Amino acid sequence: MRKKLLASVVALLAVFAMAFAIAGCSQSTEPAEESSAAVSESATESTQEKTATDEAVGLTILYEEDDSLINTYSLLAVNPEAPFADADGNAVSDVTLNTVGAQAFIDWMLSDEGLELIANYGMDEFGESLFTVNDDAPRFEGEIPEATDETRAVRLSTTTSVNDSGLLDYLLPKFQEAYGYEVEVYSAGTGKAIANAEMGNADAILVHSKSQEEQFVADGYAYTLPGFDSERLSFMHNYFVLCGPADDPAGVADAATALDAFAQIAEGEYPFVSRGDASGTHTKEISLWPEELGITTEADSVADYTGWYTYSNAGMGACLAMANETDAYILSDKATFLTFEANGGVVE
Amino acid sequence: MLTAIEEAIALLFSGDEMLANIVWVTLRMSIASSLISLAIGLPVGTALAMGRSKLAAVLVIANRTLMGVPPVVCGLLCYLMFCGVGPLRWLDLLYTVEGMVVAQVLLITPIVAGNVESYVRGIVGPVRDTARGIGLSRARTALLLLGECRYQVFTVYLIAFGRAIAEVGAVSMVGGAIAYKTNVMTTAIMMYTNRGDFTLGIALGIILLLMFLALNVVVGIVQRNVSS
Repeated sequence: MRKKLLASVVALLAVFAMAFAIAGCSQSTEPAEESSAAVSESATESTQEKTATDEAVGLTILYEEDDSLINTYSLLAVNPEAPFADADGNAVSDVTLNTVGAQAFIDWMLSDEGLELIANYGMDEFGESLFTVNDDAPRFEGEIPEATDETRAVRLSTTTSVNDSGLLDYLLPKFQEAYGYEVEVYSAGTGKAIANAEMGNADAILVHSKSQEEQFVADGYAYTLPGFDSERLSFMHNYFVLCGPADDPAGVADAATALDAFAQIAEGEYPFVSRGDASGTHTKEISLWPEELGITTEADSVADYTGWYTYSNAGMGACLAMANETDAYILSDKATFLTFEANGGVVE
Repeated sequence: MLTAIEEAIALLFSGDEMLANIVWVTLRMSIASSLISLAIGLPVGTALAMGRSKLAAVLVIANRTLMGVPPVVCGLLCYLMFCGVGPLRWLDLLYTVEGMVVAQVLLITPIVAGNVESYVRGIVGPVRDTARGIGLSRARTALLLLGECRYQVFTVYLIAFGRAIAEVGAVSMVGGAIAYKTNVMTTAIMMYTNRGDFTLGIALGIILLLMFLALNVVVGIVQRNVSS
């Protein structure tokens, strides 16, 4: 009796595991069929053969290294005197921040040691560095205090690209070992990462959206650390890349500028996946569309383009998977794309 | 599929520090929240089942409504309460395992109470008559009722634990999925998926199922021994 029960439990688990794996494997095939059906308005004739013969052709970098695709990252320390307010708009004065820890973290990132580590990140795995230190990056020269019990936990609110590319996993253990701080990383799109800091949940932010950073400073949420001359410390960059199906139906690979490439996609109404989450990547993307389309970060602004424009409201990885499945174009930061590809996320 | 299972097994035996931490945090959070929910839900559920007033009927409906609270709504409420500008900020619960447990207890307790209520309701009539016959107090009657339902109580615990270990909406909002601190299996699966590492995500999913299976076997054995 007991044996029978055990056997049935094992059998049940086996069924579960199989269902799991089938769900995992079919991820790359089934959605591709459904979604290519969804975009078939523009290509009805070819859909039938297409789903029968080939699935997603594989996402690849089609256009990069254009000056308009530069992606600059900045560090900002959250101001302890910031005008914090609760969900109802009432002022809150006693928000606790670890200003000492945040300062130590930013100082270390901008020290010779930190910047050198950043410049070399990715060499081993990808043969190229994923981030480039700005020539005019602010530098810190001075002593960084060791952590004490009160200043040990530093809350960093950051964007997914910095976290998902593995940069922080690579940097933070070195900082922690040297000075004893424990950096707790909360990662979300830049819009959400900034909102998180405005709710008093972060001591420092590392984000990549100039307009949103400037707003953050203007609203009084950031302050200038001793030894620096600005609240907004832009220190590294990489490039956004325009990715799409390898056969490139819109021909963006030959476009003269990034703006032309985006115009070609819009004109031919080729499928495009947008982050749609007010992240740094999203704000960059909306600046690249032809102005007359009137695309902004608001979902309403793309209501007329839903035939080809997907406002997904998801993270970079989820969007890359979606673009890969639907043979769509997508704007991504290069670091995340390379990591995503290296992890096997681009399933052909 | 094979690579996922291979990778899961390799991961389990690799002694990966990150994985060990994720499993440890997951177990700590799930066991704490399911036990606390059980401790609150059992008496509440029994009391609901024993009640005969209009108020009790209303409370049963209210409890059943709470059983359907979407986890993200619960997570959002807890986030707003505990965050740096929230009214309960002095508790320092945001992005901590304790905060996640609070959110989970809020979610799971109504489920425990609702299930206990429906089991106890089925036997409350005859047991009450017997208890009255031998002159038992209300508290003793409640204990007697729970004793009669002890087989179901284990099942309720498994439901609570299953909910706690599988939940992602609330814990990702309150916990923030911070590595080495509040990252649990479900949030880690989301994170790896976002990095394009589907295989690792599935591997973690299999480990999650294995953990639940192990608990199921233990609880199943205890349940049969206690109830027979």
